Amino acid sequence: MIRDALDRAKAADARHSIFRELLEEPPSTEPAFVFSASDNLVTADLGTCGGSRILEGHRPVFDATAVARMREAGGSLIGKTNLDEFGFGHFSVDSGYGVPLNPFDAERSCGGPCGGAACAAASLDGHVALAAGGSLSGPAGFCGVYGLTPTYGRVSRHGVLDCGSSSDRVGLLALDPGRLSECLPVIAGRDPRDPTSCVQPAPETEGRIGSIAVPEDATAGVDADVRTAFEAALEMLTSMGFEIATVATPSLAYAPAAHRVLVVAEASTNVAKYVGMRYGRQDGDLSMGFDDYFTHFRSEYFGDEAKLMTILGTYCRMEGNRDRYYAKALKVRAQTIGMYKELFETYDAVLTPSMPSVPPRFDAIAGMTAAEKHGYGRLTAGPSLAGLPHLSVPCGYGGTGLPVGMQFAAAHWNEGMLLRMAADWDSAFEVRRAEAVR
Amino acid sequence: MKIGLEVHVQLPTESKIFCSCPTTDASAPNTHVCPVCLGMPGSKPVLNRKVLEHGIALAKMLGCTVADTTWFSRKTYFYPDMSKGIQVTQHDCPVGRKGVYLIDGKKPVRITQIHIEEDPGKTKRVGDRSSLIDYNRSGIPLAEIVTEPDLKSPAEAREFLKQLVQDIRHTLGMPEDDERSIRCDCNISVGGERCEVKNVTGLRNVERALTFELIRQTKVQKAGGTIVRETRRFDEERGVTVSVRKKEFEADYGYIDEPDLGIFRIKELADSIAIAESPQNRIARLSRQYDVDERTAKQLVSTSMELTDLFEAAAAATDVKTAIAWVKGAVSANWKAFEDRSEEEGGPTTDGIIALIGRFHAGGMTDSECAIELKAYMTGEDRGTLRSGSSDLDDAVEAYLDENPGVVEDYRGNDKAVNKVIGAIMRTTGGAHSSADVVEAARRALGKRL
Repeated sequence: MIRDALDRAKAADARHSIFRELLEEPPSTEPAFVFSASDNLVTADLGTCGGSRILEGHRPVFDATAVARMREAGGSLIGKTNLDEFGFGHFSVDSGYGVPLNPFDAERSCGGPCGGAACAAASLDGHVALAAGGSLSGPAGFCGVYGLTPTYGRVSRHGVLDCGSSSDRVGLLALDPGRLSECLPVIAGRDPRDPTSCVQPAPETEGRIGSIAVPEDATAGVDADVRTAFEAALEMLTSMGFEIATVATPSLAYAPAAHRVLVVAEASTNVAKYVGMRYGRQDGDLSMGFDDYFTHFRSEYFGDEAKLMTILGTYCRMEGNRDRYYAKALKVRAQTIGMYKELFETYDAVLTPSMPSVPPRFDAIAGMTAAEKHGYGRLTAGPSLAGLPHLSVPCGYGGTGLPVGMQFAAAHWNEGMLLRMAADWDSAFEVRRAEAVR
Repeated sequence: MKIGLEVHVQLPTESKIFCSCPTTDASAPNTHVCPVCLGMPGSKPVLNRKVLEHGIALAKMLGCTVADTTWFSRKTYFYPDMSKGIQVTQHDCPVGRKGVYLIDGKKPVRITQIHIEEDPGKTKRVGDRSSLIDYNRSGIPLAEIVTEPDLKSPAEAREFLKQLVQDIRHTLGMPEDDERSIRCDCNISVGGERCEVKNVTGLRNVERALTFELIRQTKVQKAGGTIVRETRRFDEERGVTVSVRKKEFEADYGYIDEPDLGIFRIKELADSIAIAESPQNRIARLSRQYDVDERTAKQLVSTSMELTDLFEAAAAATDVKTAIAWVKGAVSANWKAFEDRSEEEGGPTTDGIIALIGRFHAGGMTDSECAIELKAYMTGEDRGTLRSGSSDLDDAVEAYLDENPGVVEDYRGNDKAVNKVIGAIMRTTGGAHSSADVVEAARRALGKRL
């Protein structure tokens, strides 16, 4: 069985460029289940590069807590999925190790940063993909799978190559929502090696989503395909007995910019350790002064997007800019959390589409401006900024059969509610498998 | 002239600030290291609670306002010895702010703040063009104490540091060790712009670096030049400071909050930490409360804080004059032996010493008997032997003073006159008595004749 799973993964990888590294030989004992991990989760048996050439050849000395817990539960890690370098991106086109291709159309994006993980979840039977970084709603939506991004602090970040440390999570992607419910308790829980994981209350097990708030501008500026699918999904939810109300959320307008500022500011400090000296590539000219040596490595082996984020992040925290950008973004975060808290006094969840369009073609992405690319994160920015648990579910298919996802965000620590919604939705809505990989 | 210091003190914890690596000396480079202090991808820091406790204790010692809530910041530090390329320190909300430290219990030096941070590794130059890095020191906890520019001379800066270090050691229960665990950034101006001399190690070098700067800046100004604001480095071998960078190249540290550690609400912890009276405060209090001269108070404190406890108890049991005479004399002279023996089961105690002084005070012993009893009790030496030796010694001292009455007059005005007696007796008795005994006998005899 494990040999079959590995063979199917190899075949899918050959078609869709999903993995940065795959297990070569199956383990000697039959595991209870197989899983993959995004390549920004460190693993001691497979290398870890976080999508970056600067970490080429890096073999960590320990397992990320989430990976270790999956193994302890009987899981076998079969491969490391491809992603945007260090988690900077919405399309998984900015990796040093190739681009994962959408399971529904190989000329389109899997979403990002963890596109490979979503593609694996869509392509492999019964597969569960562990993925770290920002929101998983983008790749889940583009690849037509369920994606759970837990509350900040629910799952240990020990072993995650940091991007935006104050919003990074470890989450799960699968075609079968039951796999998410099974695996979340496995990876969740306090970890003495990550202090930010040590503040969570016990997982909520009661409660069901009853009332749903939809921001009045939820579909502003989205593609017709997305609008059609989303509106049909709303009707279906109503017919299933959920109460749906339209709400005004004017302060959410600032969330994308604030989220972006915090991520790049933190990320620019997180990547400061990558200088070609202690791990990864270290094949530079040792006769250089250390400044030149570092500059050489970072110029040579960081991708353009990583460089852009580093420069923007450094700019946001410079003397004179810090208050204007970084400190202000922290204020917006506090305000956003406050706004959500108020909403959750009345409603159980906030619902929007996951992405503003169906998966874009690679040639269209190549022609996008930085602002247009960034615009793809606008619907996930609020829950990301506020640390809310959120879930993307497949909710329709556009004219050409391309998947559309919608995203439920719940109050902190209410993953249970989201997972029950996933199960309810899955029994009512017919989720399609990607044609090419049947 | 204005001098301000940023003093870095290594905090005496068993493990590092963010991991469980030991802080003890390692047998080889890069052996006391782990993924956290090496900044390996994916590792996260976990704060050592003891570091916070030490930081709070020092903040209290410095009379700072201790923060109710504190957190850490990331500071850009792009050098090979800092494994993460950033240093975790405190910027917005240090553990303590706005304190005052009194030199000699009198002269105030304002404390801007005290914060906690991690030490980088050590860079060791090998040959002309390469360096090796040892990360054993990476993550050793530091407290940084920042003063206002209230120090007026290099000598005063050194005295400040000396007293500060003594107080820190006592407050944190640190063993006496090499002064090298103190590092300073020294800011000095003689009237124009200020210069900062970075990373000067040890008290003596701080005074040397400041003295060099004082002379250099004065010369520049006398020659009609202007001092430019800059960062300099002290060359220990040549005893000079060298420019490292001008102000326009001053580093922009790009501080942001440290997201991996969270926020620490420390009010309860801070309230639960009581600090003992510092050595300098005790010196000031002893001279105030008991009218003991400052030199004696300093001498007692530098011998041992426990000795001053004993003095206070003895003064309460008898009177100040009796207590100071014995504590400064026989008790001080035999203190070392006492300290060693008091740890033994059934060994001498301070209560036992006080009881002997009490007996003397109540008229139960003569002066020289009490001296012998104390020595016998504290050192465990045989009374009989002491008695014969001591009477010889006392006789010799009395005889000398009979022949040289002028010494008594000198002693009235100057404590140091006792050295004349000591020197003479050491010569005439040919080393038959220990110097501590001679000092004690001479002081006792002089005290009686005053």
